[in-house]
Amino acid sequence: MPPTDVVVRLEGVSRRFGHRLILQEVSLDVARGEAILLIGKNGAGKTTLLRLIAGLLKPTMGRIERHGGVGMVAHHTMLYDALTARENLRFFAKLHVVSAQGSVESLLERVGLTDAMDQRIGTFSRGMLQRLTIARALLHDPAILLLDEPLSGLDDTGSQVVMELFADLRARGRAILIATHQIAELTPLGSRVGYLVQGRMAALEPLDGRGADAVLDRYRSLVSYRGQPAA
Amino acid sequence: MTARDRALRLARIGQMITAVALLGLAGIFIRALVFTPVERFQGPAQKIFYVHAPAAWAGLVAFAITGLLSLLYLFLKDRKLDLVAASSAEVGVAFATVMLTTGPIWGKPIWGTWWTWDARLTSTLFIFLLFVGYLALRNAVTDPGTRAAYSAVLGIMALVLVPFIHVTVYWFRTLHPQPVLVKPGAPSLPGVMLVTLLLSIVVFTVLYLGFTTQRYALALLQELREEEFARGVS
Amino acid sequence: MANRLLSASLAIAGKDLAIEWRTRTAFISSMVFAVLVLAVLFFARDPTAVANIDIAPGALWVTFTFAAMVGLNRAFLLERENRALDGLLLTPAPPTAIFIGKVLGNLAFVGAVELAALPLFILFYDVAVWRQLPQLLLVTAMATVAFVAVGTLLSSMVVRTRFAELMLPVLLLPFLVPPVVAAVQLTSRLLIGRPLSELAGWLKLLAAFDLVFVLLSVLLFEATLDE
Repeated sequence: MPPTDVVVRLEGVSRRFGHRLILQEVSLDVARGEAILLIGKNGAGKTTLLRLIAGLLKPTMGRIERHGGVGMVAHHTMLYDALTARENLRFFAKLHVVSAQGSVESLLERVGLTDAMDQRIGTFSRGMLQRLTIARALLHDPAILLLDEPLSGLDDTGSQVVMELFADLRARGRAILIATHQIAELTPLGSRVGYLVQGRMAALEPLDGRGADAVLDRYRSLVSYRGQPAA
Repeated sequence: MTARDRALRLARIGQMITAVALLGLAGIFIRALVFTPVERFQGPAQKIFYVHAPAAWAGLVAFAITGLLSLLYLFLKDRKLDLVAASSAEVGVAFATVMLTTGPIWGKPIWGTWWTWDARLTSTLFIFLLFVGYLALRNAVTDPGTRAAYSAVLGIMALVLVPFIHVTVYWFRTLHPQPVLVKPGAPSLPGVMLVTLLLSIVVFTVLYLGFTTQRYALALLQELREEEFARGVS
Repeated sequence: MANRLLSASLAIAGKDLAIEWRTRTAFISSMVFAVLVLAVLFFARDPTAVANIDIAPGALWVTFTFAAMVGLNRAFLLERENRALDGLLLTPAPPTAIFIGKVLGNLAFVGAVELAALPLFILFYDVAVWRQLPQLLLVTAMATVAFVAVGTLLSSMVVRTRFAELMLPVLLLPFLVPPVVAAVQLTSRLLIGRPLSELAGWLKLLAAFDLVFVLLSVLLFEATLDE
């Protein structure tokens, strides 16, 4: 693929925490418009990989290239409970140096929070917080969106809204990287799937229309190949 | 040679240095008590000076090394620098404790009081507390990388703070004149006493080296054990 | 670049103050604490042997520093909650802007506590500061900058450790020795109507401390973000 298409490139990235080697020699190219699912059990290194790509962690070894902005949705909202939804987004918009005029309100509308935008988010439900977190990650229209369990706390309508949003982003050439256990819900969105086993990218292959069951079977075969019990 | 063997060899080197220093210390005691004349005004109480001042010296050397290694750590990010800095701080706290306890023991017969806010004693007290805080901070951080970074930041801050504290305490004293007392210290020591003092300073410096080497070897061994443990779990 | 640094710093400081304005918990706690310390120190003496004026400068500075310490951790605790600090680091705002923003927010906070506590101090201790109020405010500003800069840096570390509330005073108090001793010396002269020029040395020490430690804190902050 032409190099201009690559949004993020990882070359032999390893990361240690103290004595623990969490990621080992992970290499990965993410191109425009791709959606990659990351599968692996807890502690396999999914979150660490996302934080490395976001630049929140530095790799112990290896190289990470980024072309364009990075947006991230993690387990924590990264927002301030004492502020309203609108104030939170306006604040982060200011730091992203994007003009808050109009874009904050239209983002809030896209995630269905227009009615609640002037409430303090300390009163929000988990689903509302998750939608607001996604809106925060999209403030600066990033070239790649990193999602750690993006559907957590969302009800059916919330999931539907968010899934449509992600599909639209892909259609507009934005890349998405999703770490998740909710394989059944998210497989339809993906173009490729990466299997993380004990900090290594055991396989990275196109989905080619495979369903969630096929993905799970493949994961189990990779895990048992390494002599480990399945998740 | 494995990392564990190297650490064990370092521990043995540290033990040997310490043994030499302890022999030297025995020599200093004998020289100070038997072969150095009794000071005219202070009497035998002045003998504690040969432990007090060198302990203060070793403590300050220890803290200065912690500060300098902290600075180096921020540039080189070598975990060994952090471990040596921590070992040095721990040994420094021990020497500062000796300085702070022998001070009052010396002060009581000379000044007639256990504690006086003498500029040097006061500075050492604050520096001692600063490095107790440094060790407390290390204790409160679990992740080794974060611990090293935080310790380095505090170590550098402490290094820069020490001269400020010294000036403050010194000026504070000169602004509030105290009744004239016998001034302890060694501005005009007669030759024999000066030689004893200098020898003692050398011995305490070697003692510092021995202790710090051993403490560092211990830190390395601890690291290795934690590493083995981590490998066993993951 | 300098412009961006400034606007990001101001945005962060403004956000912190907006949150504090909405909850006011830290300000009220610090104020109550300040009043208590002023009152307790007034009674912690033998009134027949020690005059107000003798303990007033020390009381003022113990009050200011202790009241500030109650509120200093708040700035970074806000960022720890929900890991908002990650959100800040994901923006193009330089890490230095985060620190400067926190320092500015804390300065405004501590300054407000001091301005509110000063009239009470004058009332309780019956000292005539009016003649030299500008000088007293100058000394207060200089000493406050010193301990807020160091305190903010230390709090950025301790809020991510166990026993954060305990650690801050233990680490910060040694750093308060030079600025607080200087401030007390200067304040005691001002309260008896002497000019500042009599104590130019202490003033210089305070200025040097400000310069060195503000720079050092700004430079070292990035190192505390290492994980």
